[in-house]
Amino acid sequence: MKNRILVVEDDEGIASAVALNLQFVGYDYALFDDGRKAAESLEEDHAYDLALLDIMLPGMDGFELFGYMERYSIPVIYMTAKTDSASEIKGLRDGAEDYIVKPFDTLTLMVRIEKVLRRTGRLNTVYRVRDVELNSETRAVTKGGEPVELQPLEFDVLLLLLKYKNLTVTREQFLSEIWGYDFVGETRAIDMKIAGLRKKLDLGDAIKSIPKRGYRLEER
Amino acid sequence: MKLWQKASALCAAVLVTVVAVCSGLLLLYAQRTILDRAEQQTMERQYALTASFETMTGYYLLSSDPAAVRDSLVRYCFAKFADAGSVLVHGKDTVFIQQEVNPAALLPMEALTGGIQVLPVRNGEARLFIAGSRVDVGGEPYGVYTVQDVSDVYRAARTMTGMFVLVSLAGAALGAALITLLMRRGARPLEALAAAARRIAGGEYGCRAEVSGGDEIAALAADFNTMAAAVQDRVAELEDTARRQELFIGGVTHEFKTPLASMLLHTQLLRSANMDREERDRSLARIEDQCRWLEKLTQTLLKLLTLRQDIPVEAVSADALIEDVRASAEPLLTARGVALYTDSDGGTLTVNRDLMRSLAVNLADNAAKAYDPGDPDASVWLTVRDGCIEVLDRGRGIPPEALPHIFEPFYMADKSRSKKQGGSGLGLALGKAIADAHGAKIEVTSVPGQGTRVRVLLKLQVYDNELIDSPPPPVGE
Repeated sequence: MKNRILVVEDDEGIASAVALNLQFVGYDYALFDDGRKAAESLEEDHAYDLALLDIMLPGMDGFELFGYMERYSIPVIYMTAKTDSASEIKGLRDGAEDYIVKPFDTLTLMVRIEKVLRRTGRLNTVYRVRDVELNSETRAVTKGGEPVELQPLEFDVLLLLLKYKNLTVTREQFLSEIWGYDFVGETRAIDMKIAGLRKKLDLGDAIKSIPKRGYRLEER
Repeated sequence: MKLWQKASALCAAVLVTVVAVCSGLLLLYAQRTILDRAEQQTMERQYALTASFETMTGYYLLSSDPAAVRDSLVRYCFAKFADAGSVLVHGKDTVFIQQEVNPAALLPMEALTGGIQVLPVRNGEARLFIAGSRVDVGGEPYGVYTVQDVSDVYRAARTMTGMFVLVSLAGAALGAALITLLMRRGARPLEALAAAARRIAGGEYGCRAEVSGGDEIAALAADFNTMAAAVQDRVAELEDTARRQELFIGGVTHEFKTPLASMLLHTQLLRSANMDREERDRSLARIEDQCRWLEKLTQTLLKLLTLRQDIPVEAVSADALIEDVRASAEPLLTARGVALYTDSDGGTLTVNRDLMRSLAVNLADNAAKAYDPGDPDASVWLTVRDGCIEVLDRGRGIPPEALPHIFEPFYMADKSRSKKQGGSGLGLALGKAIADAHGAKIEVTSVPGQGTRVRVLLKLQVYDNELIDSPPPPVGE
C-alpha cells in the first residue's frame, strides 16, 4: 500500500517538481493550486497520510487550511518562502509536523516526508520493485514470494535504493547513511554490495550505474 | 570643574582681594588718625606747659637774681603747671621729674631747636610720646618735656586691626557664599539643557528643554529645541524609509525564492531522476520560464530603483503620447481581445516621454486584465485632457479592501490570477514611482463589477478639490 500525499501549492513549477519526485519514489499524491478547492475536496476524499501545504495560497491560506487537515488528522508539513520566524513559530505551534523553507532540495523534502510518516506511524514499511518485496520492519526480503537471504549491508543498500527509487543515490549518500560518517575506506565496498544484490535478486538491469555519481534503482 | 564653580571661585577671589585692599587702606587711615590725634594732644599739653612756664618765669624772674634763687623760682613755677608726665631739665640736671622715663636721654636738649618736637618711643610694653621744647629762663636754657603714655591708643589701634580683619573675612565669606549660590542658580538652565541633550542622545527624540525667561540661555534652549525637533523629524523619516525598504526587500526576497525553489527542484530532478524525454523537456521548459520571469523581475526592479534619481522632462503633445501608448499597448490588448479607444484635448504635457508611456501602457494593460477572457464588450478608454491621463475600464473592478494596497510592491489582489496573467506585483508600484518622479498624483476609483478609473494628475495645483477628492465612480456611458 503506497503512502498518499496531498500537495497544495500554487506555483506550477514547484508543484510539478514535487509531484514528479513523489511519483518517482513511489508515493501517490493529489495536487491542488487553490486552498479553498483543496479544503472542499476533503469532504469527499481525505485518505491522505500527509499534506504538504504552501502558506500563501489563493482561496485560503495554509494556516486556515491546517484546520481542515486537523479535522481529518492529516499531518502537515508547510512549504513556504516566508522566512520570518514569526510564521514558522505560528506554523509549528498550531501543530504542524514540520516546516520547510523554499528553496529546498529534493533530498531534504524526501527525508522530512519519511520522518513525519514514521513519527505518525503511517510510513509504509513494505517496498517493492518488480517481484522483489522488502519489509523494513521485519527486515525480510522475498523474491517471487520466496525468502532471500541478504547480508545486513546488502539489505541497507537495497532499502536506500528503494526509498529513493528512480532517483540517483550518490556514493556519499550510501557512505553517510549506511557506513556512517566515519567511514573513509574504499567505495569499492558499495560496488560489491550492489553486485551481490544484482545477482541474488536478478536486478542487473534495474540497478543502473550512474557514472561518477552512484546507483539508481529504476522502475517506471 | 564646572562653569558655575569656576565663575564662583573667580568672583570670590576678586571680592576677597578688593575687600582686603579696601580694609587695609581704611585701617591704615584710621590708625593714622587716632595716632595723629594722640600726638596732637601731647603737643597741646606740651604747648600749654611751655607757654605757662615761660610766661610765669618771665614775669617773676629778674636777671639780677642769684642762681640759687633762680633755681628754686624756676622749680616753683614749673611745679605750678606740671603734671605726672612733665619733666624739666637744666643742662645735665633733671630739675623736675615724677616718673621713671628720662626724656632728655631720648630727646637731648641740643636737638630741641625752636618749637615743639614729638618723639614716639617704646618703653618695655608701654608706648610713649615724648614732646620736648627749649625755654630760656634768664639766659639759661631749660628743656621742658611732656611724657605721655599712649599705650591705650596703640592698644585701641590693635583691637581695631583685629576687628577689621574679622569683619573683612566674614564679609568676604558671606559674599563668596552668595556668589556661589547665585552662580549655581544661574547655571541651572544650562544643566537642564545638558540633561535634555543627554536624553536625546540616548534615543528620547521627543525630549525638549524648558525655555524660561528671555536671556541668552533661554534663546539657546529655544534653538536647541528647534534642533531637537529637526532631528526627531529626520529620525522618524529615516525609520519610515528603513521600514518601507525592509518590506520591499522582504517582498523581493519572496518573489525571488519561489522561482528559485522551482528551478532548484527541477534541476535536481534532471540531474538524478529516471525521467523520460517528455518529462525532461517539461522540466527544462519550466526552468526556462522561471529564468525569463526572474529576468523580467530584475529589469523592473532596476527601473524602480533608478527612478529615485532626477528624471529629464520635455514638452510632449497629448496626441504624441497617445500614439506612443497605442503603439505599445495595442498588440497586448488585441491579443486579449480588448479594444482601445483614445481621446485628447490636443494640449501639451511636460513629462519624461518614455516613463510616462510606460506608465500609461501599464495602466492600459492592467485595465485589459480586468476583463475575463472572451468578453465581447471588453474595451479600455485612454483620455489625455487638462494635464490628466485617464485610463478607464468596465471590468471586474478592485475589491474595496484591496484598494489601499494596490501601489505596494508585490501586492496582488488576486495572486493566482495575476501570476497567470504574468503580473509581477510591481507594475503599479513602478507606476507610482514614475508619477512621484513627475510630482504627479495617481488616483484610483473602482466599483466591483462595474469597472475602474485610474487618473494620473500631472498639474496638481490647477485642479480644484472636487476633481481630486470626489470623482464619480466610472459607470457605463
